[in-house]
Formats: sequence, C-alpha cells, structure tokens
Amino acid sequence: MILSIKDLAAGYGKFRVLEDVDITIKPDEIVALIGPNGAGKSTVLKSIFGLTTNYGGKIIYRDKNITKLNTSELVRLGISYVPQGRQVFSSLTVKENLEMGAFITDDKVLIKKKMKDVFAKFPVLKEKTNQYGFALSGGQQQMLAMGRALMQDPQLLLLDEPSLGLSPKLTKEIFQKIIDINKERTAVLIVEQNAKQAIKIAHRTYVLEDGKVALTGGKNIVNNPKIKSIYLGGR
Amino acid sequence: MSIVVQLLINSIIAGSIYALIASGFSLIYSVAKFMHFAHGAVVTVSAFILFFFAGMLKFPFWLSAILTIIFAALFGLLMNLLCYRPMRKRKATNAVLLIASLAMFILFQSLMIAVFGADIKTVRLGQISTGLNVFGGIITELQIIIVLVSVILLVLLWLFMKKTRLGKAMRAVADNKEVAQTVGINPEKIYNITFMIGSAIAGIAAVLIALEQNVEPNMGFSLIIKGFTGAIIGGIHMVPGAVLGSYLLGLVENFGIWFLPSGYKDAIAFVLLFIFLLIRPQGILGIKRGVNNK
Ligand SMILES: Nc1ncnc2c1ncn2[C@@H]1O[C@H](COP(=O)(O)OP(=O)(O)O)[C@@H](O)[C@H]1O
Ligand SMILES: [Mg+2]
Repeated sequence: MILSIKDLAAGYGKFRVLEDVDITIKPDEIVALIGPNGAGKSTVLKSIFGLTTNYGGKIIYRDKNITKLNTSELVRLGISYVPQGRQVFSSLTVKENLEMGAFITDDKVLIKKKMKDVFAKFPVLKEKTNQYGFALSGGQQQMLAMGRALMQDPQLLLLDEPSLGLSPKLTKEIFQKIIDINKERTAVLIVEQNAKQAIKIAHRTYVLEDGKVALTGGKNIVNNPKIKSIYLGGR
Repeated sequence: MSIVVQLLINSIIAGSIYALIASGFSLIYSVAKFMHFAHGAVVTVSAFILFFFAGMLKFPFWLSAILTIIFAALFGLLMNLLCYRPMRKRKATNAVLLIASLAMFILFQSLMIAVFGADIKTVRLGQISTGLNVFGGIITELQIIIVLVSVILLVLLWLFMKKTRLGKAMRAVADNKEVAQTVGINPEKIYNITFMIGSAIAGIAAVLIALEQNVEPNMGFSLIIKGFTGAIIGGIHMVPGAVLGSYLLGLVENFGIWFLPSGYKDAIAFVLLFIFLLIRPQGILGIKRGVNNK
C-alpha cells in the first residue's frame, strides 16, 4: 500500500465531517472517491494533505505515519494535491505557475526537466508559456493546476473534481491524462461528481455518504443496484 | 517657464518619497491582505533611531543609516510576529488587524514623544548646499539622491518580485494563499519576509526624509496618508500601481498649489483619495478580476 487511511475521524475545528473512514491505495492504482455533494469527499483529500483537524485514526503513507505532518513536508514526501475548482495563480504566468509547483526544490536543471515533461504531457501549456493564469480557458487552467502538481514529481496525486465545469470532450481529455499519469507510476486518488467516468478509469472505487464509506468495490461496482439508481441513473 | 520646471522637480521629489512609503505599504497589503497603517510608525520610529545614533551617540552617518535600516526591517518583522500573527491564529478578520495596526501606530508615536520629547529634531549631513540649477529649477544634491535612491530601489524591488524564487513565492501567496500552501510554500514565512522587506524600504525612506525634513513624532502620520493615497490612486493590489499613484499624487499636489493657496496641499490629497475610493477603488492599474480571482 502506498496509502492507508485507518479509522479516520476528521473535520474543521469543532465541526466533525468524517467518521471511521478506511481507504487504501496501492502504488499502481487509480482510486475513485464518489458520493453526493457535502458527503466529505474533499475533506478526505484535505485530511491526507494536512489541511483539516484530525480527531482520531491514522494516515499511513509508505509505512510512515503522516497524520501530523504539514503540507510542505507532505509535498517533500511525494504527495501532491490539486484542489477543486481549477485553482491557478491567476496573476502569475504559466511558466511561473509551474515554477511555483517546484517550489520545494531550487535545482534549476531539475525544474527545467520537469517543465519539459509537463509541456510534453500538456502541449497547450507550452503555447501559453508567458500568458497569465487568468487568461487561460477553464480546461487550460485545469491542465495548469495538474501540471503544477506534476512539477513535484508526486508518487501520490490527489485530484479534487478535475472535470468540474468542463465540456464532455475536455473531460475525456483530462481523464485520459490521468490514465497516462498513472501509467507512469503515480498512484491517483480522484474525487469525482462524474461517477460513471470515474468508475471507468479507476481500479477501485469508494462511495462516501455522510462522512462514512458506504460502499467499495472494483470496476464491477457499476452493476451494484444502489450505485445504478443513485449515481448513474439519468446521467 | 521656470516655475513649471520647479513645480515638476518638486513633484518628482515628493512623488519619490511617497512611492517609497506606498511601495512597502502596498507590498504588505498585497501579500498579507490588510492595511498595515503602522507602517507609518515604522517611518517615525526609524527616523528617531537615526537621530539617536547619528545625533545623540554621534555615530558616523553611514553606520547610523545602516543600523536604522536593519532596525526598521526587524521592527516590521516583530510587529508581524508579536501582534498580527497571534491574531491571525485566532482567525481575526482583516478589519481587526487594521484596527490593531492603528493602535500600534498611536502606541509607538506616543512612545517617541515620551522618550525623545515632542520637539523637532534635525539630522543633517554636511553643509546645506544652495542646490543645482536644472532648466531654471533648483534641486539640491540631497534631493537628487532621494530621487535616485527611490527609483533604484523600486526597480530592484520590481526585479526581485519578477525574477527571484522568493519574489515569485510572495506573488503566489498574494495571489492565492491556499494554493501556495499546496505547493509547499509556508505563508507565515512569506509574511515575515514581506514585512521585513517593506519595512526596510520604510527605513530607507525614514533616513532620506530625516535628512530632507525634520524628525518629529507625527511625521509618519502625514506620510502614511500620502503613501496610502498614492497606493489607492494607482492600485493598492500591486506595487507598480502604488508607485505610479504616488508620483501622480506628487504632481497633482504640487501643481494644485499653483491655483490654490499652499495650505490646501494636504486637502488636495484627501480630495483625490475620496474621488478614487468612490469612482475607481481598484486604482488606475487595478483590474476588477472575474471569477478566476479567489
Ligand atoms: N473549510 C471548512 N470549514 C468548515 N466546514 C467545511 C469546510 N469545508 C467543508 N466543510 C463542510 O464539510 C462537509 C463536507 O464538505 P466537503 O468535504 O467539501 O464535501 P464534498 O467534497 O463531498 O462535496 C460539508 O458539510 C461542508 O459544509
Ligand atoms: Mg468537494
């Protein structure tokens, strides 16, 4: 396991959101986390990334308890987080955004190499190297946010709703990139509203309801009647 | 003709001083997102520190100036560490931080009166020169130095923000603190550095102003009002805007007294401030950003 979350209870200050959450991810896996709005999906990612209050349980990353580490320590350990909502530095250029992705290193050669890799994966970013973040389209901003995370050379990538607000075509493109990233030996934990697509690209899926894991399974989870009626019906 | 040249020279000198104050003020505002009015107290206290070293202890001027600038940087850092940071930890709003900054302003201004007295002090460097004649206007060597130091410092600050890893990290925190955190930037560290840089610039301004004018307990108040006005006019979110606004303020003030009695000089600044706050609060260079700016 690259990550195991055990009996996690977490929230914000006195406001408890997650209870008894258990999630595991293998180093070569894409794991999807789906569930209704407000179920606590984003909170799971934030809790791994040290941005919540944790009341109990453990988060183990490659045999190391990371429950109490801060974000910069986690980045150094190889965990990258792409928050919900195409978050880029809008007043920084594409190049500067990517440079900031590699903030934890000052090795200029390494940064150059990483940037080349990111440009190879997202050619559109290369065309926009000197444009400001706010001047990009929604899809380009999502790619920039992901590219920024890849600058950190993560072993575990946490993605929060990367398809939010994107057209079906762009969504497909982004999902294909996620598969590519995973094939290059990065474990991915992806939170999605777009349950059908997420289940399709994921090796395993967890369903979160009301702060608890309600259901888990492999690709065949699509055949589960409950999943069919709640998450796939009408879509 | 020569009066136009003289007013222009006076505008540039005033603008340079305002720009030094406004740049630090808007730098801190853009990164930490609140109005650090106690920035004015950094100027006042630093000027007194210069007077203490150069005037009372009779240290060589260059040494006194360096000590003053170091003092200013540490003073700003301590204000952040001992006042603002604990308040941020308790989730104080930016309005509360602003009030705290006003309280510190009054505290340190009073402290200067208590320690040094309310009378006017002077720090002078060599003989008072008669000044150089430039196209019919008069400018002293010190005033030339003020303009040059100001321009050089502002260019250096701009290069620092644009080209260095630390400068970019400061802009990243200014832009989106949460995302900055996700790439491993510690915002609190960036705040510390920002306060040190902004306050060091205020310290340099204090040295120049102490030489050109006088050292008195309320000097920081009018200066921070002018710096604030310059920042609002040009765009407080970005240092280049604040600098532009400061020079504009210098121009309007100095050419305004061509038409109005000179007693109205400060009033001109306030009128301009009100006009901008009402009509274009984001300033000349400021853009109203859409949904992308969180
Ligand atoms: N920063 C926060 N502070 C307090 N409560 C929050 C915060 N973020 C989310 N919440 C609350 O936590 C619950 C779960 O939110 P979230 O994890 O964002 O859900 P999801 O991502 O599944 O839609 C919601 O009730 C939400 O209101
Ligand atoms: Mg969410």
